[in-house]
Amino acid sequence: MLWRGPILPATRPDCGDAGSVARRTWGRARLAVAAIAAAMLLCCGCGTDPNRIGRLQKVWGRRGLSDGRLQKPRAMAIDGQDRLYIVDMTARIQVFDRDGGFLRGWHTPEWTTGKPTGLTIGRDGNVLVADTHYYRVLVYSPDGKLLKTMGGIQGHEPGQFGLVTDVVQDPQGNYYVGEYGEYDRIQKFTPEGRFLLQWGGHGSEPGRFARPQNLEIDEQGHIWVADACNHRIQVFDSEGKLLKVWGSRGSGPGQLYYPYDLVLAPDNLVYVVEYGNHRVQKFTRDGRSLGCWGTNGRGEGQLFNPWALVRDSRGDIHVLDTNNHRIQTVRM
Amino acid sequence: MLPYSLSFDSPWYLLLLLLVPMLWALSFRRMGVLGPWRRWFALGLRTLVMVLLIFALAGAQMVHTSDRLTVIYLLDQSLSIPAEQRRAMILYVNAAIEKHREHLDRAGVIVFGRDAAIEIPPFDDDVKMPLLVESLLDPEYTNLAGAMRLAQASFPEDAARRIVVVSDGNENIGDAVEQARGLTGAGVGIDVVPVRFDRQGEVIVERMTIPNDIRRGQPFDMKVVVTNTKTPSGSDSGAVGGRLVIRQRAGDQARVISDEAVTLPPGKRVYSVRQQIDAPSFYTYEAEFVPQRPEDDTMRQNNRATAFTHIRGKGQVLLIEDFQGPGQFERLVQALRLRNLEVTLRASDQPFTGLAELQQFDTVLLGNVPREHFTDEQIQMLVRNTQQMGAGLVMLGGPNSFGAGGWTNTELEKAMPVDFQIKSAKVVPRGALVMMMHACEIPEGNHWQKVIAREALKALGERDYCGVVHWMGQEQWLWGGLKVVGGNRQQMLARMDRMTPGDMPDFDPAMVMAQKEFSRIQDAAIKHMIIISDGDPSPPSRGVIAALVNQQVTVSTVAVGAHGPAESRVLDNLAKATGGKFYKVNNPKALPRIFQREARRVAQPLIFESKNGVKPTIRFPHEMLSGIEDPLEPIHGFVMTTVKENPLVEVSLVSPQPVNEKNATILASWTYGLGKSVAFTSDCGARWASGWTGWENYDKFFGQMVGWSMRPVGEEGNFVVATDVEDGQVRLVVTALDKDDEFLNFLDMSGTVVGPNLEPVPMKMQQTAPGRYEGAFPARDSGSYFLMVNPGGGKAPIRTGVSVPYSDEFRAKPTNLGLLEQLAQLAPEGGTAGKLVPSPRQPSEIEPMLAVNSFRHDLPKATSSQDIWFHLVFLASCLFFFDVFVRRVQVSFAWVPSLAGRVRDRILRRTPEAPKPEMIERLRSRKAAVSQEVDQLRAAARFETSEQSAATAAEVEELKPSAAPRPAPPRQEPGLAPGQEEESYTARLLKAKKKAWKDRENRQE
Repeated sequence: MLWRGPILPATRPDCGDAGSVARRTWGRARLAVAAIAAAMLLCCGCGTDPNRIGRLQKVWGRRGLSDGRLQKPRAMAIDGQDRLYIVDMTARIQVFDRDGGFLRGWHTPEWTTGKPTGLTIGRDGNVLVADTHYYRVLVYSPDGKLLKTMGGIQGHEPGQFGLVTDVVQDPQGNYYVGEYGEYDRIQKFTPEGRFLLQWGGHGSEPGRFARPQNLEIDEQGHIWVADACNHRIQVFDSEGKLLKVWGSRGSGPGQLYYPYDLVLAPDNLVYVVEYGNHRVQKFTRDGRSLGCWGTNGRGEGQLFNPWALVRDSRGDIHVLDTNNHRIQTVRM
Repeated sequence: MLPYSLSFDSPWYLLLLLLVPMLWALSFRRMGVLGPWRRWFALGLRTLVMVLLIFALAGAQMVHTSDRLTVIYLLDQSLSIPAEQRRAMILYVNAAIEKHREHLDRAGVIVFGRDAAIEIPPFDDDVKMPLLVESLLDPEYTNLAGAMRLAQASFPEDAARRIVVVSDGNENIGDAVEQARGLTGAGVGIDVVPVRFDRQGEVIVERMTIPNDIRRGQPFDMKVVVTNTKTPSGSDSGAVGGRLVIRQRAGDQARVISDEAVTLPPGKRVYSVRQQIDAPSFYTYEAEFVPQRPEDDTMRQNNRATAFTHIRGKGQVLLIEDFQGPGQFERLVQALRLRNLEVTLRASDQPFTGLAELQQFDTVLLGNVPREHFTDEQIQMLVRNTQQMGAGLVMLGGPNSFGAGGWTNTELEKAMPVDFQIKSAKVVPRGALVMMMHACEIPEGNHWQKVIAREALKALGERDYCGVVHWMGQEQWLWGGLKVVGGNRQQMLARMDRMTPGDMPDFDPAMVMAQKEFSRIQDAAIKHMIIISDGDPSPPSRGVIAALVNQQVTVSTVAVGAHGPAESRVLDNLAKATGGKFYKVNNPKALPRIFQREARRVAQPLIFESKNGVKPTIRFPHEMLSGIEDPLEPIHGFVMTTVKENPLVEVSLVSPQPVNEKNATILASWTYGLGKSVAFTSDCGARWASGWTGWENYDKFFGQMVGWSMRPVGEEGNFVVATDVEDGQVRLVVTALDKDDEFLNFLDMSGTVVGPNLEPVPMKMQQTAPGRYEGAFPARDSGSYFLMVNPGGGKAPIRTGVSVPYSDEFRAKPTNLGLLEQLAQLAPEGGTAGKLVPSPRQPSEIEPMLAVNSFRHDLPKATSSQDIWFHLVFLASCLFFFDVFVRRVQVSFAWVPSLAGRVRDRILRRTPEAPKPEMIERLRSRKAAVSQEVDQLRAAARFETSEQSAATAAEVEELKPSAAPRPAPPRQEPGLAPGQEEESYTARLLKAKKKAWKDRENRQE
C-alpha cells in the first residue's frame, strides 16, 4: 500500500522524497491511532476484564412455572450424556439437554416444608436428591421414578439428618451425605444404606464445617467439600481424614465468599462457584487461583447469587445463575 | 417491515436540510482537486455529517413498534357472586390463557372486591392461577373502577393492552364506565365476560327499628322488616320457612329474647316484638332470620339487622387490666365502688369487641397494660370513644404503661396530656436495638419484615439506637450500623420501606457485625437484638454468642415457618444462651406484637424508681385534687413522660425527681375532643404507690380523678332522636322540648359521627322547623355508626347509634348486563370495540366461553421511543474525522492490481515476471533526481544574466531551443509542470537576490 503526503505544499526540500515523507506521516498516524485505541480500550475497562479467563458460550433459561422455565433454581447435576438436571424453588426436577432444550421433569413427593438444595448423578446414573428440609436423600431413576429414600428423621444419631446439603457416591458405591444446622457433618453409608462413619461437626477449625454445601469425589476417591460458611475448601480421604484445606473469606483472587459448589476438572483443576462473590473461580487443586469469571449483575456474563456449576463432556462449565433464573455456559 | 422507525421531537429543525444543496454547491468545485472518487466520497461524508447534526437538533428518537399483547383479567371476587361462579371464572382464565396466549404475549390477573390486588403480574407464560385467591380483599363491595385503574397502572409499556372484565357488573363503589372511557382513550381494549347466575331465592332482613325515647321500665315495640324476593311459580307458593331470632346485648352479656318460627310469603313482612328494659346500659338488638332450608336463601350476609338504645344509669367505668398480672387494681375497684360508680373489670386479652360495647361506659381506665395487648383498631376505638363520643380515658401507671409499655408513637399517645418519650439526655439512659432480618421465604416475607421493623422502631425513643442487619448479596446494615433514632426516624422508615432482604446463608458474620456495633456504643444501658429467621442459615459461632453475653446483649429469636412448622433449635438455644426469648410463629399476623414487645425491652429506661421514695407535690389545684393537700404520701416509682406543649394541659402533681419537672409528671389532664383524658404515671398501690393504699385520701383521690374524666351526665329525656337509613344516607332528626314540652328553638346544635372504620364522618345539624333539628351523612359502608349530638347551651350530649346492616353487595341484584355491554362496546383509540364473551349460566360450561380469543391482535400496536440524538452527535463527530481524512490523505490502490496479479499467478501456477532489481531502480531514481537538480541549476544560471525581473514560463519555453545541449530532463507526467512551478519560484528568489546584491554594489560605488 502506498500512501502519499498531504496535498497542501508543506513538504520541506530536505525531507527526502515524497514516498518517505508519506511513510513517516503514516507512521505517526499509526502511532496516534494505536495510542487512541489503547486509550479507548483502557477507558472501556477491558484492561481489567474479570471475565477474561472464560468465554461465554450461551445463556439460557427463563423465569417461570411452565415446563422448561425456572423459578430460583438451586441445584444442578449433569449426566454422562450431558443432560442437565436442575431443581428449583417449585421443587421440580427438570431435565434439559446441554443447549437448554427441555426434556422432562417431575416433582419431589412433598415440598411445603422446603425444597431440595442438592443434586448429584450417582455411579449407576440415578439422580440423588438432597431433600434438605425433609432430612432425607431421594434416589430417582433418570426418568423420574422414585427408587429409594434414605433418612427422613431429624436428629444427630447415625442415619438421622439435619438439613441435608448434598450426597455423592464413591467408586465403591458408598454414599457420603453432607448436612448442616445443629450438627454440620458428613456421614458415610454403604451402597445398601448402612451407616459406616461420620466426621466433622460445627465449627471453623480444620476438619469441622459450617454448612458443607457441596461434596465431590476425585479420581483417588477423596472427598472435596465446599465448606460454605467457613469460606474454604476441605479435602478428606474416604475415612474422613483431613488431607487439605485452603481458602479464606474475601473477594480478592484466591479468596472465597460462600463457595456453594465445586467441580473437579482434568489438568489438576477445580472450579468453585461463590454465592457471595457472584463468580466462578478457577483453581489448581492446591488452591492457587488461576482467575475468575463473572461479576454481580443481571446482564449476560454476570451472576446473581449463583448456587451451582457443572462441567460437561466438552469441558464447558454451566453455571446455575440462581437469582437470575438461568444458566450460563462458559468455556474456561 | 422493520419494527423500528424514526421520529423527531422538534421537526421544524428539519428545515435546515435545505442547506444540504447549498453545501454541495459550495463544496463541489472546491473539492475538484481531490479527483472524482474522493470528491464524491468526501461530499457524501460531509452531507452525512450535516444530516446527522440536523437530525440531532430536531431531537431524533428511535421508535420501536411491538407486536406483543398484554391481557389482564379482572376477576370480581365480591360476595354478590356465588362461590361456585367465582371458582369457575378462575378455571376459565387458566383455560383461556393456555388456549389463546401466543409466544410473547403476556397474561396477568387482578382480583377485586372493594379494593383490587394483582394476583398474577403480567407475565409471558401460561400462568396457572390457583383456585384459592391469595390476595386479601374486602369482598363486601364491588369496585370495578378501582380494578381498572390498577390494571392501567400495571400494563407494561412495550405491548398492546387489553383487559378482560369477569364480573356481574353490580358495582357499588366508583364509576366503571367513566374509568373505562379513560382506558379506551389510552388505547386499552376491553372484553367482558358477564357472570350470569340464577338466584333461587333470597330473604333479606331489611331493618330493625326501636323507638328512641325508651324509658326505664316502660314497654316498647321493636319492629323487624323482612323481605322474601322469591316469586311464586306453579305449585310453589314461594313461601320460605325459618326462624326469626332476636338477641339483646349489653356489654358482654348476650341473651335471646325471641326465637319464633315464621313462614315468609313472597314480599315484605313486618314483625313486632314487645320488650322492656329495667337496667340502665347501652343495648344492642340484633334480628336474624335463619332459613329452614339453606337453598331458600343464597346469601346469609343480608339476614341480620341491628339497632341500639341507651338507658342511662349511674356512672359506668371500664377498667382494663393486664391479663398476665390480674389483681393489681382490687383496691382501686373497691374505692370506686364506694364512690357509687359501676366498675366493670376486663382482662387485656379480651378488653372489648367494638365501639358499640364501649358506649355503655362513661370512662375507660387502662391499668398498667402494654401496648401489644391491643390491636391498632382497638387503640383507635379508645381514642375515638374519647375524642368523638365524649367518654373519659385514664391511663394508670406501672411498668407496662406509657412509654415503658410500648405506647410510644401510638394514636393513644396523641390523646394523652403527656408525650411518652423523653428528649433530655440527662434524664434517661439510652437503649440500643438491632434487628436481624431473615424471613424472606415466608409468604409475603418482605412485606412482614417491613411491618415488624416499623413497629419496633415506633416503640423506640428519640435517643435510642436502632440498626437493621440483613443480607443483600452480603451481610450489611440497612443504614450503616446503630444510629440514634432522633432525627433519623423518617429516613429509617424510608429505608425500611425499600428493604428487600435476601436469603442469608450464615448467622455468624451478621451477628459478629452486630456484636461489634454494640461494643462501639458505650452509652446504651440496654442492648437488645431480635432475630427473625426460618432457621436455615448456618448457626452462629460460640465466640460471638459469648461476646454478646459479655456485653450483656440479650437476643430474642423469632422462628417463622417458611419451611413447615416454625421450629428451630438453633434459634431456641441462641435465645436461651443470651437471656432472650424464643418465639415460634406460624401466622405472620402475630409478628408485629412480638416486635412491639421486644422493642419495649429497650424502652424500659423510662421507668424512674426510688428506694427511699419521693413525695409528689401539688402543682395545680385541679378539681381532681379537691380536698387534698400537700404533703402527699411518698411513692417509689413512676414512668417518666414529657408534658405536651399545649395550654390545655394541666399538670396537677409532680415528683421532685428527676430535676427536670417536665419529665416528672405524676398526674396531668386535658380535654381531648369531646372527652377528657388523664395520665397518672405511678401505679395504684401494687408496687410503687404501696404507701397510698392506707392513705386516708386514697378513695377521694382516685374517685375524683375517675369522676372528672367521665362523660357529662344530664337529663336527656326532653330530646327525641330519630334515625333513618335510606339510599346510603343516614338522616337524623332531633325534636327538642323543654321540661314543659315547649319547643326549644335556636339551639347551637352540633353532631359528630364515628363510622364503622372508626373515621369521623362529617355531619351538620340545622333547624328545619320549630324544635326540629336535622342532619344527614353518607353511610356507604355497612356497620355501626355512632352519633353524638351536642344540643349546646350546656346540655348533656345525646348519644345514639344507627346500623347499616349490609352493603349493596347483598341486595340480590341480577347481573347488570347493561353496564357490562356498555363496557364492551367502547372502542379503544385506534382499535375495534371489545367483545362480550358468551357466558353460560352453568359454571361448569367453560368451553363455549373459549370461542372468544382475548389475545387477538387487533389493537393499536405499542410503540416505545428512545432519544438517539446523542448517538447521532457522536456518529457525526466520527464521520467528520473521516471527512477530514479523505480530503487530506490520498490513498493509493496501485498495490491492488499487482497483488491480484500475484494471486492470479499463484492460482494459475504461472511463473511471475522477475522483479527488477531494486538496486537498479534506486540508481535510476537517484540519477533522475540528480539530473533534475542539474537542470534546475542550469536553468537558474541561464536566468542569472537576465535583466527582466519576471520571466514567464512561456518565455522560458521559447528560449529552450536556442539553449546549449544539456542532459535530458527527467521524465515528467504529461500535463504536469512541476519544473515550471519550481523554476519560477527559484528564479524569483535568485532574481531578488541578484537585485539585492546589485543594489548593494551600486550603493558601495
